[in-house]
Amino acid sequence: MSLERRRKLIPWMFALPGLLWLLLFFAIPLINQAQVSLMSGDPEAGYTLTWAFDTYTNAISDYKEQFLRSFLYAGVATVVDLIIAFPLAYFMAYKAGRWRNVMLLLVVLPFFMSYVLRTVSWQLILADHGWVVERLRDVGLVSENGRVLATGTAVVAGLAYNFLPFMVLPLYVALERIDRRFVEAATDLYASRATAFRKVTLPLALPGIFAGSLLVFIPATGDYVNAALLGTSNQYMIGNVVQSKFLTVLDYPTAAALSFILMTVILIGIAIYSRLLGTRTLTEAAV
Amino acid sequence: MTAVSEVDPERVEREIDRFFSEQRWSRRRFLGRGAAAALMAGGLAQVLAACGIDGTAARNLADLERQAERVNHPRTDLGDWTFSNWPLYIDKSVIRAFNSKYGGHCKYVEEINDNNEFYGKVRQQLAAGVPIGRDIVTLTDYMASRWVRFGYVTPIDKRNVPNSRNLVRNLRSINYDPRRQFTLPWQSGAIGIGYDIKQTGREVRSLRELFDPKWKGRVTLFSEPYDSAGSVLLMEGVDASRATLDQMLGAIERIGKANDSGQFRRFTGNDYTTDLTKGNIALALAYSGDLVQLQSDNPNMRFAYPEEGAMQFTDNMMMPAKVEHPYAAETMMNYVYEPEVAAKICAYVNYISPVEGIKEILARSDPEIAENELIFPPDEVREKLHSYPSFTTRQEQQMYEAMAQVTGA
Repeated sequence: MSLERRRKLIPWMFALPGLLWLLLFFAIPLINQAQVSLMSGDPEAGYTLTWAFDTYTNAISDYKEQFLRSFLYAGVATVVDLIIAFPLAYFMAYKAGRWRNVMLLLVVLPFFMSYVLRTVSWQLILADHGWVVERLRDVGLVSENGRVLATGTAVVAGLAYNFLPFMVLPLYVALERIDRRFVEAATDLYASRATAFRKVTLPLALPGIFAGSLLVFIPATGDYVNAALLGTSNQYMIGNVVQSKFLTVLDYPTAAALSFILMTVILIGIAIYSRLLGTRTLTEAAV
Repeated sequence: MTAVSEVDPERVEREIDRFFSEQRWSRRRFLGRGAAAALMAGGLAQVLAACGIDGTAARNLADLERQAERVNHPRTDLGDWTFSNWPLYIDKSVIRAFNSKYGGHCKYVEEINDNNEFYGKVRQQLAAGVPIGRDIVTLTDYMASRWVRFGYVTPIDKRNVPNSRNLVRNLRSINYDPRRQFTLPWQSGAIGIGYDIKQTGREVRSLRELFDPKWKGRVTLFSEPYDSAGSVLLMEGVDASRATLDQMLGAIERIGKANDSGQFRRFTGNDYTTDLTKGNIALALAYSGDLVQLQSDNPNMRFAYPEEGAMQFTDNMMMPAKVEHPYAAETMMNYVYEPEVAAKICAYVNYISPVEGIKEILARSDPEIAENELIFPPDEVREKLHSYPSFTTRQEQQMYEAMAQVTGA
């Protein structure tokens, strides 16, 4: 083999483990599920491939409520996370000094505990007669007979809480990488501090905002744990439907179709979002 | 795939169903009907194997019954074998005592948190006819019924389980396994009303209370339709253990109507206990054993066997198809049916034991448990306990579908 050809092959050799991994655990299951989504039948007689595209239209018309709710809840949770995470990441990047590493550790610390357990503990914290809800009643944020648990608020709060670190970390990385001399230059040129933030810091942090919102929004849309534990049947999201279709009702085609619809909508959403923010690549922020 | 339509699935279902419901049959009828079902199912299997997800009608009960007739699990070393059960469902010292008495090593795994979830985990291996790496699994009636119906079990060699004669009378036969050839009860429990007497201010006796607008938004039901819809039918005076699909669907519809008016706070699995202990709800459809444990922490927690009667579930030990250590599994089944051992398990798990003669033992060691009506229901309560109705897979799917509509998923 000539040196030239070998050189061309080397990058492929390096990519091989990753490609194999993708093929085995991503491409093949994806194709398989696409096939399942076009099957029809029932658990007793079995499911056969009949190219039943109406599963998709039925799934959308039957579960549009849960779809819309998923996007709404995940969207609100993402915005809430952004509002909480930006000042936090800003502080960590520029003001925390020697406390920076401690704060980073604190942000990541919840991951040392099981996701489900963290969510269950909110059931205890937000109990109707618990300390937190009683105080919220005192200040009038919750009505006398009102509750927090088993409402949409609790589900959104749970999502925001559970996915917060995914917003903080990319934001922190993006902010930390900004060359502070740009900001100095802006103020030297008579920009107010607010203008400098708006015209310099914020645009440079955009890749972080982009990556953070995707990392929060995508898993939050498909999440079913928060709705199951903190919500009621009126708060169930599309993940709950997929779970129930797959495990309880044994309607595999609909479960698969719902997953594909969710994936498609999210992909289209991301495409639009990245166009709007003008971010070239996701990796720009993630590195 | 036109060949599928040549075999009428409804007929297969009817045939299997009829076969099933007969408790006694002559040998000739047994063979004839078995052969018919085997032929049809065999044809189906071939067609289905070609493409798609295998239907479960492909396996058949007749084959299983034949296996049961000639089951023979010779005595061997126990070796390393696996027992899958629900969390906190045994006093672990029982396992240690078993290992030192019979040798081998029992890997006891508390991995079953939900019947459907566990089924989802092992379904493909079972359908493919390969071992699932567990020698005993413990599943609730409706799931046990499904496994028997699908042929996902190995018959028990009763010669290795002589203690099974200690099984209480009312569980010796059950609709899906009339002669207990494939399943052996582990523990039973009743589905009744769990409540906090401080919140209700008085005793609660009737299932109607769950629908009383006085408790609006402070009640939970189970998302499992066998439990919830079954209880609603009992409330309406219907014998739920013989309920038809239409009756169950009707009950689910009425649950849905009440839910639309805000009667129920949530539909839960076992997690209703948090809502109950934290005072988020006043009453709940509840499992008897849970309340025994909650009571020990909070004496205001009460459990009522509803006056209309209660659904009773049983979790059953079974050996999956292609089991690798049948003798070890049967030795364990035999061991836990020794009254002394059963008493020990009962004292720990606080559910209703299926083993005869343990009340006397506990009266000596733990008189408090022996007197607890939630663990040893009085005869008049026992008479009003109803086991789950038996449905085909297709009917079951319809029922779950309807319940999912109500619970929002």
